[in-house]
Amino acid sequence: MIYDEPKILPGGDRFIEMELGNELNFDLNFLVHALCSKIREANISGIIELLPNMASIVVSYEPDKISFDDLKKVVLEHYHQMGSLEDVELLSPIYYIPVLYCDHVTKACWEDYCEKINKKEYDPDLMVRLNKLENYAQLERIHSGTEYWVAALGFYPGLASLIALDPRCRLTAPKYNPPRTWTPKGTVGYGGSVTCVYPANTPGGYQIIGHTPVPVCDMEQRLAAFKDDLALLRPGDRVRFFPVGREEYDYVENRVKDGSYVHNVSNYAKFSIREYHKWLSTLDMKERF
Amino acid sequence: MTVKIEVLKPGLETAVQDFPGRFGFWEQGFPPSGPFDMWSFRLANLLVGNKETAAGLECQFMGPTLFFTEDCVVAMCGADMNSKIDGESMPMWKSILVKGGQELTCGFATKGARAYLAVSGGIDVPDVLGSRSTFHMAGVGGLEGHALKANQIIKTGISNEAPMQGRQVRQSCRPSISTDGRWEIEIVLGPNDDWIDKAGIKIFFDSEWKLQSRSNRTGYRLEGPDLTFAEKAINKGPEHGEHPSNILDHGYPVGSVNLCGQTPIILVNDAPSAGGFINPFTVPSAAFWKLAQSKPNDLFKFRCISVEEAQKLRRDLDSVCNEGSIE
Repeated sequence: MIYDEPKILPGGDRFIEMELGNELNFDLNFLVHALCSKIREANISGIIELLPNMASIVVSYEPDKISFDDLKKVVLEHYHQMGSLEDVELLSPIYYIPVLYCDHVTKACWEDYCEKINKKEYDPDLMVRLNKLENYAQLERIHSGTEYWVAALGFYPGLASLIALDPRCRLTAPKYNPPRTWTPKGTVGYGGSVTCVYPANTPGGYQIIGHTPVPVCDMEQRLAAFKDDLALLRPGDRVRFFPVGREEYDYVENRVKDGSYVHNVSNYAKFSIREYHKWLSTLDMKERF
Repeated sequence: MTVKIEVLKPGLETAVQDFPGRFGFWEQGFPPSGPFDMWSFRLANLLVGNKETAAGLECQFMGPTLFFTEDCVVAMCGADMNSKIDGESMPMWKSILVKGGQELTCGFATKGARAYLAVSGGIDVPDVLGSRSTFHMAGVGGLEGHALKANQIIKTGISNEAPMQGRQVRQSCRPSISTDGRWEIEIVLGPNDDWIDKAGIKIFFDSEWKLQSRSNRTGYRLEGPDLTFAEKAINKGPEHGEHPSNILDHGYPVGSVNLCGQTPIILVNDAPSAGGFINPFTVPSAAFWKLAQSKPNDLFKFRCISVEEAQKLRRDLDSVCNEGSIE
């Protein structure tokens, strides 16, 4: 449920957690981002930063500049002033990410896991079987057939939890057990109902279905997109994957390597939940890609 | 002028940190980092005439061996690592002139766990996202993203001040580091204390918790009795996960006690920003120095305080970290 009024929970001397509800629900997550946006615009003295997640926001603050009670009061005021969520429109850039599906990197990573840790069904096969798809081509069509909403980042720096905005494109996937000790940077994974791009070579538990040469995190800040950031995405952004062949994949990989790659992003894009709801109501839910 | 310092031996995990750390990128998963014991760190900087925010070295468990190519005023605060300059014992909590050609050596920490070395002018490494602090796990900030390595060169910033040697921190203004391995740590209830039942809260405060050796700047793992859960932790929607300690993914306050199954992990400076476990308690910033100076197998007893008391402790600590504490 979405609470009538957020719960303000203390986290020591310099944090509060605002819980807006207690379920996994897109409208609730949008509400989280709408409130974050409002609090940021208000530029409240003493608030250091906001950490939004599925249904809650952690606020870090300087207790010398704002007291716990005043902070509680001011964030609740902003919550109540928000008006109808339907009227909220947020800037939500769309990042276009090329993916080579069911590729050589994915296969090598799966083979390595089978050999060293645990023999398991090849991930794209498992995804096709569990989601009752026809073949890899349909897996690719569905995964790349929707925009994804960046609900939150966490677990590892730059790792975004992406939720399909077209409900017909929501797949489900079990997690690895035991987890992989290693996943190549750029691997596209699926776990539960969330997809992701691995920001670095890290352990992982998601099923893996493809690979992108485009970095979502760059500690060396080599590419233009990382001039003021180490990670590409922020909560409330969107991602659209598009399938490419090996030739295009190699081309992009080379541009990334020589430092000349420019990320493809629609910085002007806005997201209106009213228009989104309208669009949802027009969909034929039985129609598959 | 700037001074070059050669790393002869890096120590166990010595890294550049600055105060208060890195902010503004937490929602992308980048933690604040910064010095774990902010008390000792700030005083070390003030001793050598730096601003408290200047970058210095955090030495963990065993400090480095450094060769100074030129004269430099330094100060060491925090854990006692039997530091020596050219074999002669180096006093702690005091600013000292190291001459060009001299060697500063550190051993294992005999009292406390983390020592802070400030150098006049601070350490000059690139500013990454507004901070020089090292976030070792992801290779961000500090000297090439990681802890010091042998043969690296550290450069100091330009110090404009007149030499500041011979200043020391008043005895009464130094943290009293435990010598018997027992600590009383202040803690605040929340954010998720209502997921633990009354009996579980009592168990938490009545027990001694042993610090496990698998603890570092991301998390402090504690060993102790099992806690018991409230009804809301047991009967909940599937999106909250299976175990009573699971909750719908949420952000993690720095200092919160993250209950992973039955292992409480205190999330500290380099901790993950989010995940799917509850945080029933939070260690306030003013008690972080105690965590920083404790060692594996030390015993923690927690004392429950209010948010207001935690904020008063923070103000008290801030007022100690200033020029008035130096003589």
